[in-house]
Amino acid sequence: MTASRLLHQMARSNPLRSGPNRRHVLGGLAASVAASAALPRMGHAQDDGLALLTWDAYADPRLLDMWREKTGVAPRYEIHISDPTSVNRLRAGETAVWDFVNLNNPWAREILWPEGLIYDLPRDRFEPLYAQMFEKFAMPYDWALSKDGNNLLGVVQRFETFDFVVNSDVISPELAKNEGWDLFNNPDFAGRYGILAYEDWNVMDICMGAGIHPFKPKSDADFTKFEETARRWIDNAKLITTDFVQLNLAMLNGEIDLYFTGGTYTASSARAEGATNIYAITPSSGPADGKGGINWIELNSAVANPARKEAAFDFLEWITTPDAAEIIARGNGNLQPVSQMAQDEVLSRFSTEELDAIQWDEFDERISNAVEFDIVPDYDRLYDIYSAAIRDRG
Amino acid sequence: MNQQRLGLLFMAPVALFLLVGFVSPIVIVGWYSLMEPRSFELTTVFTLANYRTAFTEGYEAPFFWSLGGAAVTTLTCLLLAWPTARILHALAGRGAAVITALIAAPIFISESVRLFGMSLFLMPGGGILAGTLRTLFDVNIGSVLNTKLGVYLGLVYVHFPFVLFPVLLGVALIPPDRIDAARDLGASRWQVLREIELPLALPGLVIGGLLAFVLCIGANAEAAILGGQTVTVLTRAIEQRFSYAQDWPMGAALTILVIAMTAVFVFPALARLDLNRLIRR
Repeated sequence: MTASRLLHQMARSNPLRSGPNRRHVLGGLAASVAASAALPRMGHAQDDGLALLTWDAYADPRLLDMWREKTGVAPRYEIHISDPTSVNRLRAGETAVWDFVNLNNPWAREILWPEGLIYDLPRDRFEPLYAQMFEKFAMPYDWALSKDGNNLLGVVQRFETFDFVVNSDVISPELAKNEGWDLFNNPDFAGRYGILAYEDWNVMDICMGAGIHPFKPKSDADFTKFEETARRWIDNAKLITTDFVQLNLAMLNGEIDLYFTGGTYTASSARAEGATNIYAITPSSGPADGKGGINWIELNSAVANPARKEAAFDFLEWITTPDAAEIIARGNGNLQPVSQMAQDEVLSRFSTEELDAIQWDEFDERISNAVEFDIVPDYDRLYDIYSAAIRDRG
Repeated sequence: MNQQRLGLLFMAPVALFLLVGFVSPIVIVGWYSLMEPRSFELTTVFTLANYRTAFTEGYEAPFFWSLGGAAVTTLTCLLLAWPTARILHALAGRGAAVITALIAAPIFISESVRLFGMSLFLMPGGGILAGTLRTLFDVNIGSVLNTKLGVYLGLVYVHFPFVLFPVLLGVALIPPDRIDAARDLGASRWQVLREIELPLALPGLVIGGLLAFVLCIGANAEAAILGGQTVTVLTRAIEQRFSYAQDWPMGAALTILVIAMTAVFVFPALARLDLNRLIRR
């Protein structure tokens, strides 16, 4: 597979993101223009502190303040529009702008490292951090290593499963786990569910519902089955939105009983507020090597920017300290598991209610029932089928 | 330095700004629209494949919803704005300023915030409208949220002020003595409206209508927040191509088509405007 083809496929495989909208797109364009205009001045901007290109948790003001207190300089940041947009920005020369990048698991080993966009990390300094994480991340952990296994490419931190969410007052979690994606195939739930329009995830979920492994090549029969399922699921959806708060409200309001795509990321803040009937589900089984869930893992890396290389390394190490990891787990008002919760010192900082909000008691089970997020082969064709079905709705 | 050269000199900064900030992006978008689908580079190998796709792959629905929604919303806003403007004009100096401020104030609040507020109002079950009707009158209404009606209400709600104020300006252009003269000559109310008021207020009506129409074509938030994406509007379809599909050429082709279609409506309407008259020169 050529690099451009691979980029092309990965460009559609961006996991969690805030819903795209006109403001985001325009904001991104404006930021790109501003960043390009700033490029020639970067040589004079070395005292500006670290520049983070990241998802929202790492832009939490408490985290930034802590780093400022430690180093005397506050980091600058920009929140991703999407994984592929940020990867393309680094490819376009913004390695001179950014020092830290936080992306989902496939990017570092498939694109960033082969194209020289990130530094590898000193193994003697960073591998011990992996020993303090869950066993799942024990070295050699493939997503954090180059394909030949020789280079360490980043530090794993936030991770979870991202599948669907039910109102447990209406659908028992056990039933939902056992039925899995067939709940959305059940005619009784037509008009009773919503779709969170994280569209690349929707494509993977529809694959699961159609009985297709999302991360393996598709046959013509698979495409036919995918199209039939996509059209039925989209037509039968009560609402489609990029805002998961709207979906949680619709569920509390009795408008819908379940929605996909969703997980701890979308359910935890509502659960922490007392709406514990909003319940994240990872199916017990499914077509992905017998699994029905999908597990994403974020990898934090040092951008290949010589200006602040050592500072980026320091930051990468620092975010794994208990105080920083705790803030990241609570980043931006959501509760989100982090790999450092394997340590009692970190785990003990979360109350029983908070752990209940992230359904901690069954977290291991959910992870074990999920395949790890990866590139979706034939994504272009699948997405075109999906987006045509969206256009035909209504 | 003669007057003409001085004029060119003063014009140069604005011309340069427009060239860089307005013309160049459109040229780049137009260029992208002629590239191979799902390519990221600007080359000199051109194709019309994206335009063919725009007419063969189900994009007529987003065009229909955006253009149809814009037309219906503009018409509704004009119908609502006319009597409102007449009343405000008649009340000038007697509370009109307060009413005007109340109508204008929401413009200063983010559109998304206003629409989320409206979604709480329209929400079934625990929503303000449904809950109030049930509590006070024991009336149960169906859901307006996540329907096409919800999108329509949102479009009218957001764009009404953009129509009202130009129409108010248009109404102010009608000399009262013309109406009096027409009535003295035996004109009916309908004749006064058709022969005197509407023609004289036409500049305001056209500007208001154009503002609402163009803004509605680019509207996305109403369908997303109040409509539950029960319809896919054009901007959403374009956004999908630029983001999840990473198909910039197709997104660019759709963008150029929207610009072209907007121009088809806007330029003939603008040609009817006499700006000199509007500003009383």
